[in-house]
Amino acid sequence: MTWQLNPQDQWLWIWAIVLGAFVLVLGLIPLLQVLPPRGRRALVVGITFLAGLFFAAEFFMPVNEEQKNMLTPAIQPAQNLLQLIGALALGLGTYGLVRLHLKNVVQKRTQWGYSVVLLVSFVTMAFFSIWNTLAEKELAPKTPLLENSFKLLFDFTLVQLDAAMFSLIAFYIFSAAYRAFRIRSIEASILMFTAMVVMIGVVPLGAYISYDLMGFSAEPTPEGASFVQMLVHNLGLPKVANWILTSLNAPAQRAIEFGVGIGGLAMAIRLWLSLERGIT
Amino acid sequence: MQPQTIWQKMLAVDRRLLYVLLLVNIVMFLLVPVRMPASISPPVQKFYDTIEALQPGDLVMISSNWSASTLAENQPQLEAVIKHLMRKKARFSIISIEAQSRDISYRLAERVTKAEGYEYGRDWVHFGFVPNLTVAIKGMVTDLPNTIKQDVRGTRVSQIEMLKGVNSLRQYKLVIDVTPSGTVPIWISYSPKEVNIIYCPTSVMAAEAYTYLDSGQIKGMVTGAKGAQEYEQLLGIVGLASRFTNAISFSHVLIITFILLGNVAMFMNRLAERREA
Repeated sequence: MTWQLNPQDQWLWIWAIVLGAFVLVLGLIPLLQVLPPRGRRALVVGITFLAGLFFAAEFFMPVNEEQKNMLTPAIQPAQNLLQLIGALALGLGTYGLVRLHLKNVVQKRTQWGYSVVLLVSFVTMAFFSIWNTLAEKELAPKTPLLENSFKLLFDFTLVQLDAAMFSLIAFYIFSAAYRAFRIRSIEASILMFTAMVVMIGVVPLGAYISYDLMGFSAEPTPEGASFVQMLVHNLGLPKVANWILTSLNAPAQRAIEFGVGIGGLAMAIRLWLSLERGIT
Repeated sequence: MQPQTIWQKMLAVDRRLLYVLLLVNIVMFLLVPVRMPASISPPVQKFYDTIEALQPGDLVMISSNWSASTLAENQPQLEAVIKHLMRKKARFSIISIEAQSRDISYRLAERVTKAEGYEYGRDWVHFGFVPNLTVAIKGMVTDLPNTIKQDVRGTRVSQIEMLKGVNSLRQYKLVIDVTPSGTVPIWISYSPKEVNIIYCPTSVMAAEAYTYLDSGQIKGMVTGAKGAQEYEQLLGIVGLASRFTNAISFSHVLIITFILLGNVAMFMNRLAERREA
């Protein structure tokens, strides 16, 4: 059984599928509006259950020597469908954003100037990004105007602004750490001491202080070493920091992940069976 | 109104002063040309050894899922990884589940590979953006050409020289996840067991990954910019991370110093209040 299109009939099929999907979506929206709430809920619950069942069944069904079962070939079309749903959501988001800001500009609402900036940036970036993608696929000419404009918009504006925005967090962390990191209990003291050891131990300065200034051994512990020798060999800040991360942090993280995993499983089952409130 | 003591003034310090101090500290240590050698941590050593074990021509999948916001940590990691793979003459493909990363990683790889004479399509390829990693990995395990379909240049995967005869992710030797997101459990869950995984997270994400490192599900880890500096040191190159490292080191010192000063001010203030009472 194959789920792939025959290359000879590809374009015919593509048009048929696009047209079919268009009719289906256009028909589905009025159908959902016409249906009574109970019928609407039954439709959404049914589709959610079948979609979840497909992926669960594909995962749990026995596989042959090629690690495939009867549902495995359908994974690829399912991925295409997920991409389509994602694209539809992106389209809806774009429509909503443009509509809202166009309204702001037309009605000259408060701070409508920002909406103009957003719309101009959106259209300009979208235009050059689409042109650049087409040029990469050799479907459009790659002119110096495109190269310079895309570099200016993407490399020198978007990337820099994004990086700068995120970098500001460092300043807030510094200010927050100074104001909030206070020793008010034994737990807070342990946390602060541990954080300081790890913060210094993981950077080169920790190695410099431990091995160059204080003379601790940077070499691994020799085989058959006594407890005291082991202790002396592992007093350097980088080794203590690594011990904290691997021997204290890892077990705690594992315990948290078990809890999160079980919680996630319960939530997934509730979503699959539409037991969550507000599903329809 | 009584005049404020030095401790009260310290507790009520203007946050803008703290911002200026941090800014001066970062700029000053970015400009200082002295390089402090790093102590190589075991996860970075394992990461390096895993790539060193590759043979010329081996296939490697780089999952690059970062945007400009984590550029300071992920860019040096990805650059160093590509340089190491080229040194080992390994062939690699890049895949992104982050829309912005599709362009950033493609442009970065183009720049780095051009300098070393690595040819697109023969030695490396970019699969572009995929929206759902779980489905993409499952699809690549069963049928890679039909899952990816075409690369960023619009060439069908089956027609790319490097991928002739490659039908499954099973034919890859290694997956390298460069990301600020929690994508590594997805790679661990769905990629074939015979394919090794190594990980380049940002510093804040690394703590969660020690459990996978401990269990051997990831073979090595390069944590943030400081891990990238250790990795660059192992490779014998001076990259972006080696230039950042002084600023990071002394920013940590500044933060610790001010946390201590804040606590001293709090204790002295309490002491003064008790005396007055």
